[in-house]
Amino acid sequence: MSQVKVERGDTVLEARGITKRFPGVVANDHIDFEIKAGEIHAILGENGAGKTTLMKILFGEYQPDEGEIYIAGKPVNFRSCLDAIDRGIGMVHQHRKLVPAHSVIENIILGHPRAGKILNIKRAENEINELCQKYGFNIDLKAKVWQLSEGEKQIVEILKALYRGAEILILDEPTSALAPTETEKLLESIEAMAKDDLSIVPFITHKLAIVLAISDRVTVLRRGKVVSTVDTTEATERSLAMEMVGREVIFRLKRTEVEKGETILEVENLSALSDKDILALNGVSFSISEGEIFGIAGIAGNGQNELVEVLAGLRDLERGKIRLDGQDITQKTALERWKLGIGYIPSDRIHVGSIADFSLVENTTMNYYFDGDYQLQGSLDYEKIRALTEEIIAEYDVQTPGPETTAKSLSGGNLQKLILARVLSRKPRLVIAHLPTQGLDIGATEFVRNKLMEAKKDKTGILLISEDLDEVLSLSDRVAPIYEGKFMDIIPGEQVKRESVGAMCAGIYLDEDEP
Amino acid sequence: MWEFLIRSLDASTIFTIAALGELIGQRSGILNVGIEGVMLFGATLGFITAQTTGSYLLGFLVGIAIGGFLGLLHGFFSITLGGDQVVSGMGIWILGFGLTTYIGSAYTGLLGLERIPSVLGLSPFFFVGIALVVITWFVLSKTSLGLRIRSVGENPAVAEVSGINVTRTRYLCVVVGGMLMGFAGAIYSLDYNPVWSYNFLMGWGFIALALVFFSMWNPFILLGGSLLFGTLWQLSFNPEMVLPGVLSRYIWRTVPFVITVGVLLLMATKWFRTRWGAAKPEALGQPYVKEG
Repeated sequence: MSQVKVERGDTVLEARGITKRFPGVVANDHIDFEIKAGEIHAILGENGAGKTTLMKILFGEYQPDEGEIYIAGKPVNFRSCLDAIDRGIGMVHQHRKLVPAHSVIENIILGHPRAGKILNIKRAENEINELCQKYGFNIDLKAKVWQLSEGEKQIVEILKALYRGAEILILDEPTSALAPTETEKLLESIEAMAKDDLSIVPFITHKLAIVLAISDRVTVLRRGKVVSTVDTTEATERSLAMEMVGREVIFRLKRTEVEKGETILEVENLSALSDKDILALNGVSFSISEGEIFGIAGIAGNGQNELVEVLAGLRDLERGKIRLDGQDITQKTALERWKLGIGYIPSDRIHVGSIADFSLVENTTMNYYFDGDYQLQGSLDYEKIRALTEEIIAEYDVQTPGPETTAKSLSGGNLQKLILARVLSRKPRLVIAHLPTQGLDIGATEFVRNKLMEAKKDKTGILLISEDLDEVLSLSDRVAPIYEGKFMDIIPGEQVKRESVGAMCAGIYLDEDEP
Repeated sequence: MWEFLIRSLDASTIFTIAALGELIGQRSGILNVGIEGVMLFGATLGFITAQTTGSYLLGFLVGIAIGGFLGLLHGFFSITLGGDQVVSGMGIWILGFGLTTYIGSAYTGLLGLERIPSVLGLSPFFFVGIALVVITWFVLSKTSLGLRIRSVGENPAVAEVSGINVTRTRYLCVVVGGMLMGFAGAIYSLDYNPVWSYNFLMGWGFIALALVFFSMWNPFILLGGSLLFGTLWQLSFNPEMVLPGVLSRYIWRTVPFVITVGVLLLMATKWFRTRWGAAKPEALGQPYVKEG
């Protein structure tokens, strides 16, 4: 498309009647939309709305069963992503497609026709630096990718696409792994690129605020169909959410007041190192009582992982004490903690929370194998665990053909329900819920939150760690914003102000909160 | 002493070239544990060819060709069929050991050709080996082809999205790698020790394999390591030179492996990883299956 001169506002890409079927499901059902030069056009939809399929079709990874794609008015037929790249489409993957062991520059020029037989690093460096300056990216081109933050890796992917000559940039969940400052910078760069007549197409699942902040138009998908395409100025968070789910969503979950009981968990002055031997958790103290949700708000990488892992018995601590029901468990192993009633819902449900190739029964066993009630003369009582799994599937409405299916065949929401169920069904004293709704669609999110509320009514203590400020604020009885391994404050739920907590997560106290 | 040094350098030449072959394959993600088998084939067929035709050149060419063919075979199992690379490699070793014994035993004895003239007192292949190290380093780190090879070995899916033909790149590397292994085998049987006898290699291939891990996949460290391992190997023939009457040669020969284990331990430490990242090609040993 670089041959054709594009004017600002011209239609650069048009999809007509795109349909893609998979066994048992129509992932894309006659999808139409068009993208103009210089436009930021968000595609919004829940998990399972058909976003991923559409994205893959646009990038040539899937071929549509029906429908056509036109670029600058001409029909195109992508057989692979290389065809798409050649026609000026660039893709910024959510799961970064980069080689961690290589430098930034090597990643950008990899496979580029102009890399030269003998790599012309100097020339590439100059050209990439030019792009960086033009769009306000700040990155060390000589650094190895494994040393970079998520935001920086995303910049590398964007640069790679631009260097390849992309004029339509597809961004998959562009802000999902970014710190707020990184998000802000990214939005600025996106605007700079759009001013330069590049078209930007962010695919977004849940960050409605980002959609409103960034895009000129938004196309909403639901169950594989286009619900609407509207100018962003005419949309609100609420209107978009309604179109996405097709029904009114309760954004403000009513916090049920439960009488606080005895103290379950006491944490004193806890410190721990990160994988890189940096003090990531720096003297944190708090307690959780029966029937209380203690929320930790913060941006990823401020010590939440370390805190959770120390509490679950998965990481050594540097200093501090942990007591459960008055008993010192600082030196207890993860298994001993399970037995004492700590339930753990890990943030990475695919790699840590489950074993992909194991059946649902076997995955349920993970939290039951050590339980005498589920053993039979030293071996596992699979009949009983199977019955339990069936109960869980029914009670938690896990969408699956049956308990013998593998975990990897479940969608994210259903897998999370299973994990949640196997933890809560043990009636734990304390639940550590780490990003329990991350990446889930709105329906599943609501379900998980309700289940946590139910557990709270059963006098379970809950530690909720989330990057979703609204989630923490609406669920928690007390909120602790975490920043660089320290709690900025611990605030009772009824006194919480969104702005103050947001500021504290960035390490700033608003005037009136100065302690 | 001089004689000992020369022999050590000659030995390390063979380690260098064989290990370079392995290194090239591994940088593209293909592990070939059958390196000993490939060397046995190259050595035996090269030996027989040279003896029958009287031509060293033909002997080396046959050694290189059979190495390339076995690389192709290993590639077929591990790239096209996506099989387990260790199983395929072990198969090549066992095949090599059995078949070359069967074919070669009729040729037991001296090669019977005039020795290949030395250059500056050293085997000419010593210089070939050093040139190959430099070339390999240059190709891997300075050229587009090298970047493609490294990317395929680190993350084939990323390479594919970037427009690189993973299958072709990997085949190229295993075939070239096999050729170098076969060449190294031929150097052994035609130059270093021109005699055919039962199980004459006695683990040279495995030392070369260890050497690749020792080198942390860097051709220059590989060169240094092969000098060290070559000297240690040579010492194993005269252990009394160092510790009179104490150690048997068979104990000596385990030393390179012990050192390699030490290097692998070092690479596994947090201290190493946070400074240099993972040295090992990320996708080493993993079959690549295209999505969709």
